[in-house]
Formats: sequence, structure tokens, C-alpha cells
Amino acid sequence: MRDLADRRGIETEIYEAAEDSHLLLEAARSEIEAKDLVLEVGTGSGYVASEIRDETGATVIGSDVNPHACRRARDLGIQTVCADLVAPFQDGVFDAVLFNPPYLPRVEMAARDDWVEDALTGGEAGREVIEPFIETVGRVLASGGAVYLVVSTLTGPEAVESQARSAGFEVQAVREASFPFEKLLVLELTPKRS
Amino acid sequence: MNEELMDIVCCPVDKAELELSVESRDDGEIVAGSLTCTECGTVYPIEDGIPNLLPPDMRETSA
Repeated sequence: MRDLADRRGIETEIYEAAEDSHLLLEAARSEIEAKDLVLEVGTGSGYVASEIRDETGATVIGSDVNPHACRRARDLGIQTVCADLVAPFQDGVFDAVLFNPPYLPRVEMAARDDWVEDALTGGEAGREVIEPFIETVGRVLASGGAVYLVVSTLTGPEAVESQARSAGFEVQAVREASFPFEKLLVLELTPKRS
Repeated sequence: MNEELMDIVCCPVDKAELELSVESRDDGEIVAGSLTCTECGTVYPIEDGIPNLLPPDMRETSA
């Protein structure tokens, strides 16, 4: 399907910043301080990471499974690591972790088999990437740290919220935006005090 | 990559410390080299300033 995408001039290698990126940016920038160390998982074009860095003065690290995205984000001066979610980061280091995950349910007819499809779709329910993220992200959060996660009503936000609660987080929707076929939410996950 | 990154990264497989080996630098930034796990010995390349810390079984599909 790459030929068709090429003919139409459709980006096949990196997901470009869109409404969901802006919503994540808006939610995170008011919470992040200059002294913070921030990780953006799935940084893509590096747009959100570089805006957060420029607006807050925080140190922002970008990670992405896609090497094309890693190179683009690095071109924006973002320190980038090619990684599977938070796997190669030490325990308790980040004050904030941002993630605009692939959350659309996969539709076979629209399958493109390229890097952008990987950036958009999260398996049958749309939660294939979100679930392992929620299971593992708590490990890398510093004390007082928070996670900012974009979800869509197409992804089943209730299921995401209930998984996050079982994983030991308090969950709060901090931003919302409605679009013709979906509503986007930014969830703030903070470890429950025990 | 910036050398300070060593303070926050670890082996993606066993979370052990990594040992840095530098091949070339540009303006203080590490452009090429490798990170080796001090526990399991897995070698992770640093190319064009980007450390590839994908677990070995995910590396093949990322070309």
C-alpha cells in the first residue's frame, strides 16, 4: 500500500502533530516546571517534546520505537532514545511521562502496513500499546511524578481508567475535546499514596 | 547523545547498568559508540547520536 500513499503524498514514516498532540501539550505544560525531567514516549515528530522544553524550561527526553521519528525529534534538539515504551529507563527518574499512544482500533480494510499505521492503531480494541504502558510506567516515575496519557472515546476510556486504577494510580481527566466521531481525553495518572 | 543520559538509562531487558564506549564525539555529544549491559552483555549501538535501546528481539523490524 506504500505506492498509493506515495502517490497521494501521504506521510508514511512519521505521525505528524495533530489535535491530540495539542491537547496533550495543553494538559502537560501547566503542570511541568523548569526543574523537571520529562519523558515523552512515542515522541513522533518531536513537536510536543520541543514545545514543552521551550515553554517550561524542563529537560525533555524523547523515546520512540520508530527510528525515523527518533531522527526527526533529534533534529529539533531533543535528546532521543530508540526504545520500547519505558523499558530502558531507570527506576524513579521522571517527574512527568507524556504519551499520545496509538489508540485507534485497527480496521483491516484501511491497513497500510507502514510506520504511520503503527503510530495510529493499537490493535483490535485500540489498547494494545496502552495496556503494557500502564503496567510499566509506574516504575520510572519519581516521587510526586505524574503521567499524561491521551485516550479517545473510540478506545474505551473506561477500560483504560479501570486498568490504571488496578495498576495503583489515581486517575483524573484533565482535558477534553470533542470531534465529529470521537472525544479525546487527557488522563492524569498519579500513583496512589499508600 | 549527551553523556548525562547515562544517569537515566539501563538495559531494557534486565534493568542493569550500561557501560558506555565512545567511538566519536561532536561538540561534546556522543555521535557513535555503544552501550553494553554489565549483566547480560547485550550490546546496544549508538548511531547518529541516537542510542538504540530496543530489546534485541525488536531490533530487526526497525530498519
